[in-house]
Amino acid sequence: MNSKRFTSEQNLIEFSNQHHETSAMQQKRLIAFQQYPELVLPKFQKINYRNWGLLKGQPMPADVSASSNTQSKSMSIDLPANAMITQRGIQSAQVKLNQEALTAGVIALDFFDAQQQFPEWFARDYMTKALAADAHRLAAYHAAAVNCGIFVYVPAGVQLKEPLTWSFSQDPDETVKRVQHVLLIAGENSRLTILESRHESVASIAAANIVEELILEAGAQVHFTAIDETKGVAYLARRAYLSTHARLDWALGLMNDGDVLDDFNVDLKGDSSHTEFKVVAISSGSQTQAITTCVTNYGRHTEGNILQHGVILSDATLIFNGVGHIVKGARDSDAQQENRVLMLSKTARGDANPILLIDENDVRAGHAASVGRVDVSQMYYLMSRGLSKDVAERLVIRGFIGSVLAEIPLATARQKLTGTIERKLIDGQRHRDRTK
Amino acid sequence: MANLTIKNLHVRVDDDSEHKEILKGVDLSMNTGEIHAIMGPNGTGKSTLSETIMGNPRYTVTEGDILLDGESLLGKPVDERARAGLFLGMQYPAEIMGVTNAEFMRSAINARRPEDQPIPVRQFIQELDQNLELLDMTPKMAERYLNQGFSGGEKKRNEILQLLMIKPTFAILDEIDSGLDIDAMKVVAKGVNSMRGAQFGALIITHYERLLDYITPDVVHVMMGGRVVKSGSASLATKLEAEGYAGLRDELGLDVPLTDEN
Repeated sequence: MNSKRFTSEQNLIEFSNQHHETSAMQQKRLIAFQQYPELVLPKFQKINYRNWGLLKGQPMPADVSASSNTQSKSMSIDLPANAMITQRGIQSAQVKLNQEALTAGVIALDFFDAQQQFPEWFARDYMTKALAADAHRLAAYHAAAVNCGIFVYVPAGVQLKEPLTWSFSQDPDETVKRVQHVLLIAGENSRLTILESRHESVASIAAANIVEELILEAGAQVHFTAIDETKGVAYLARRAYLSTHARLDWALGLMNDGDVLDDFNVDLKGDSSHTEFKVVAISSGSQTQAITTCVTNYGRHTEGNILQHGVILSDATLIFNGVGHIVKGARDSDAQQENRVLMLSKTARGDANPILLIDENDVRAGHAASVGRVDVSQMYYLMSRGLSKDVAERLVIRGFIGSVLAEIPLATARQKLTGTIERKLIDGQRHRDRTK
Repeated sequence: MANLTIKNLHVRVDDDSEHKEILKGVDLSMNTGEIHAIMGPNGTGKSTLSETIMGNPRYTVTEGDILLDGESLLGKPVDERARAGLFLGMQYPAEIMGVTNAEFMRSAINARRPEDQPIPVRQFIQELDQNLELLDMTPKMAERYLNQGFSGGEKKRNEILQLLMIKPTFAILDEIDSGLDIDAMKVVAKGVNSMRGAQFGALIITHYERLLDYITPDVVHVMMGGRVVKSGSASLATKLEAEGYAGLRDELGLDVPLTDEN
């Protein structure tokens, strides 16, 4: 039934042709387009997002044929990073690589250029491993409607000294819903650091649908830091697939102002793969941030650790689900997690749900969770030295999330995140003090 | 000259653990340039008095007033009282993760200054180094998280360090000597004595006379049963040491039970 879908098949084919999609890509889009209305919505514990309008909005330009696709340019210049990629709204990505990255054979492209130039990688890794196109309705919608994105490939054995930075911002003349795809392939034994930032200055016109896939080949080591500061409603999936001996360290700062459904997932497929997943989140105003972080141990001797700390101001909501899943056969594996929420007001709503699913005997697993309020004796002590309530609160909060921050290895990432946290807290306190 | 006056202060505590009137009409007045000591047996309301002056929300003033230079402090939250010039060296300082001692002290100093005139970093560091040395503290203490994992003695020294850095008008030191060995007590006393001067007054709450051997008070008050029952010169402390609180109680003909009485 076409009326249920966001556009007609004919329009979709036209959009696909306009973007020079390969026939395989177009086929994948069309299959997902057929499937998505029938697939179930993904379920997350204690999160009800049915009224968020995640499927509302128009991802295709009104006049499909008028949408242009300028080739993104790669250029070499002196950069404080190995690569700087920026994408504004659904415009083509702007890519700058430095000489080191170019010499090493790093590839960074706009999504549509990449699918055309590297069809074999897309056939193998695009919405197949980290998030299958038919996994659920939001995934299939994504595959059907994707309208922007980036692609990065770091060849085997390449070790990049400087970070790759990805910045996603808003198009001030936004006309359509953003459906953005990020695909990173880290070749065997490559080593790299990614600094991602997402920023919006006003709420987007429709809920964004964003999927990031990180494919780590054997022995790849990736540090991934992301700071999210969006204003609108969004479904944001960050999904990783780790081969043998791969190692992925995440540090995420979720400082959004809108309602966000975060779907984070790591599949420890290869033996001895390892992930350290660290999240700090602050919810303020009346927003909801719902974060589900799932690590599945498939391979033997795999290790997955989740550490999530969050703070809630005003009458906002923050939910942390942590899922540690060890499948049968993942012998000598380890799944640990800690989820903690600190509430600063009586009307704040917080939840910290650790879930362990263990189907193998020879494993180690553990969890800790808490939902608490600011310690009154700490507040009293700080204020007795003359600090205002707001400043005292920020110090206590900094202490609370400091244990996560302290574990972020990259100093620049840590500093940037510290600054963002301070900004978000001050905004949240102002909003609270205004509405009191 | 600044003045701190307590007038007929009655205080209740009502929470999960206690429901009772603890202070039953405390009167006391002190000026800067003076050091007063409050002595008294356990459970007589000494800590309640100090916490109430500072503005701990746990305690409710039912009658009387607390005046700083004639202006009532009642109704002012704890941070305003602090910025008005009060400081309370606490018996059980809180531990705060993730905030270094130095950072905290700088925030506290800057909270008293105009927003666009924070203390110059150099000046701050100089004062910090001087005071650390005075108190026999290692520079590392400044970089540790606030009271986190400090021993009892380290916490007490750290309270005095904050006192020296913040330079309040009136400091109330609540059993700053408890749990200290004699050497640590001398250090604490050295810190307090270094603050002595026309711009500073201290109210020292103590159980034992020993601390007062090192910080000589101008006035000694004895509290019993929620009131100041006797005030006098430093020699009163010596007398108490010799005769005990029971002796004074009987001398004054008071009907006050002493919790530690055998």
